[in-house]
Amino acid sequence: MTVKSRFSRPRLRMTRFSSGPSPWFLWLDVSMMLIWGTLFLKYWLSGEILFLLHPNYVWLTIAAAFVLLGMAVFKVSQQLAQPASKFSSRRSQSVQHLSLLPKGWSNAILILVGLLGWFYAPQPFTSDIALQRGVTDTLMVTRLQPQSFRVSVNPEDKSITDWVRTLNVYPEPDAYQGDPVDVSGFIIHPPDLPDNYVMIARFILTCCAADAYPVALPVRLQGDRSDYAADGWFRVQGEMTTETLNGDRRLTIAATRLESIPQPRNPYDY
Amino acid sequence: MNQWSNALTLFFSLLVEAVPFLLLGVLLSSALLIFVDERRLIAAMPRHPLLGALAGGLFGFLFPVCECGNVPVARRLLVKGAPSSVAVGFLLAAPTINPVVLWATWTAFQHDPSIVFFRLGFSLLIATAIGWIFSAQVDLRPLLQSSVAHAVIPPSTSLLQSGTFMLGGSGQTISRFGANGAAITPPPRVTIGERLPLMVENMVQELRELGGMLVFGSAIASIIQVGVPRDVILSLGQGPVTSIIAMMVLAAVVSICSTVDSFFALSFASTFTSGSLLAFLIFGPMIDVKNIGLLLSVFRSRAILYLFVLAAQLTFLLTLGVNLYLN
Repeated sequence: MTVKSRFSRPRLRMTRFSSGPSPWFLWLDVSMMLIWGTLFLKYWLSGEILFLLHPNYVWLTIAAAFVLLGMAVFKVSQQLAQPASKFSSRRSQSVQHLSLLPKGWSNAILILVGLLGWFYAPQPFTSDIALQRGVTDTLMVTRLQPQSFRVSVNPEDKSITDWVRTLNVYPEPDAYQGDPVDVSGFIIHPPDLPDNYVMIARFILTCCAADAYPVALPVRLQGDRSDYAADGWFRVQGEMTTETLNGDRRLTIAATRLESIPQPRNPYDY
Repeated sequence: MNQWSNALTLFFSLLVEAVPFLLLGVLLSSALLIFVDERRLIAAMPRHPLLGALAGGLFGFLFPVCECGNVPVARRLLVKGAPSSVAVGFLLAAPTINPVVLWATWTAFQHDPSIVFFRLGFSLLIATAIGWIFSAQVDLRPLLQSSVAHAVIPPSTSLLQSGTFMLGGSGQTISRFGANGAAITPPPRVTIGERLPLMVENMVQELRELGGMLVFGSAIASIIQVGVPRDVILSLGQGPVTSIIAMMVLAAVVSICSTVDSFFALSFASTFTSGSLLAFLIFGPMIDVKNIGLLLSVFRSRAILYLFVLAAQLTFLLTLGVNLYLN
């Protein structure tokens, strides 16, 4: 694998420290850090960060925001305090870096993307993503974390996630026949189910939206599903029953009442 | 419209998750640059290629960074003249062989500690092996981006030339901070107060460069995630061989940070083979779509291809052994 070096006689040229960084680039740096620092704070203060991250990792983003803002303030104060000590000034000016992108491009990209983040409010995932990622009632992301699994919960107090976790432990649908159900989630219209069925779903996050994983239960309606728009949030009440759907025996909610509800502040489960 | 919204949410989710770790990486990288005496650091490295690669792999315990943060540190090691075996061993192992990641993996897989131990052992084994292989290339500069290559101290030069750490942007010049600004001499003693501005300056520059590449990689990962149905990938994952391939592809596509990838792998624990979960946990931190962007800031594409092929082959063979003989 040995490759002959083209650098056997490197040209070492000395930098005289005479040309410091352009103030233009300095202010681009400061702008970039201010935009991203305040963007992270905006996500945190607006609650939008819950659409992007597991709550356990929010503190990292908040810390990053303050570090970015601190660095920006430091750079500004450094600039305003110039000329600083001769030595520091010379060395600071000499700090130049390897660059894959043309000078200024990285900053331009980061600033533009940061501004996009400011103008685009993140949205929770929709049923499109749920269908794309495969709706399931058999596998739980966090089923092995005991603090999330409460076996003593009354049936009517169980969330969709609780139901699927329970089903995962004991996957016989008939065992839950007749249990009262009161769950909330968003509606999915699976193309392979009849028109009087929808699925009530939630996304589960383990760290961030990149690994969001949908879990859902089929709901047998008393009417047609066109009355219940996909992605709409509903509270579903009824009782558990067993249905054969696409050849599989599935635990299904026989709905007696569907109530439209606003999207929760935190739409994900964990 | 939904697809656009979903892709943007994914994109910002990856960035919001990754930027804190990137900051941690550039912070440690800059601390290494400014506060650590590279003469002692490099002098302490074993000269033997195999031991050097092993030491580089274990170096992650000192720098608990994920694959977003290890690139600037590895780049710094290279520029400071660390042997290629050390730098490559560190690059491949550090995202896994560090206390934060091992703690997260233990939390996720405490019901199956073998996953934790195999992840640790195989990652170190693969990183050491590849670091050893790369040591055959004594002068690594032909495999580096030219801007990095010009900054690296050549092998024939003493590795103990302190203070050689800055390079020019367009001119690829090397600045040496001797007392007269021209000689290769040890730097003058500087106080913490003088080093701090340098450290912040370095952090800003690394954040700018690597942040741009992170945006690029995250955008690609988001587009692929939204554009390619995950079912297509997962439908391949039932057999001992195909499950490993599927999880390696998924690891490369999802580009999830090694600090939290155990929880993601956990979601496949009951449907995928243990070998394939290990493949996800070992291969993902080494090579994925997101950090290829970061790697491109250091290595030429040819070197990244070597890293990719070697890491993929070794991961596949080791985890296939788990599937065939230990499951």
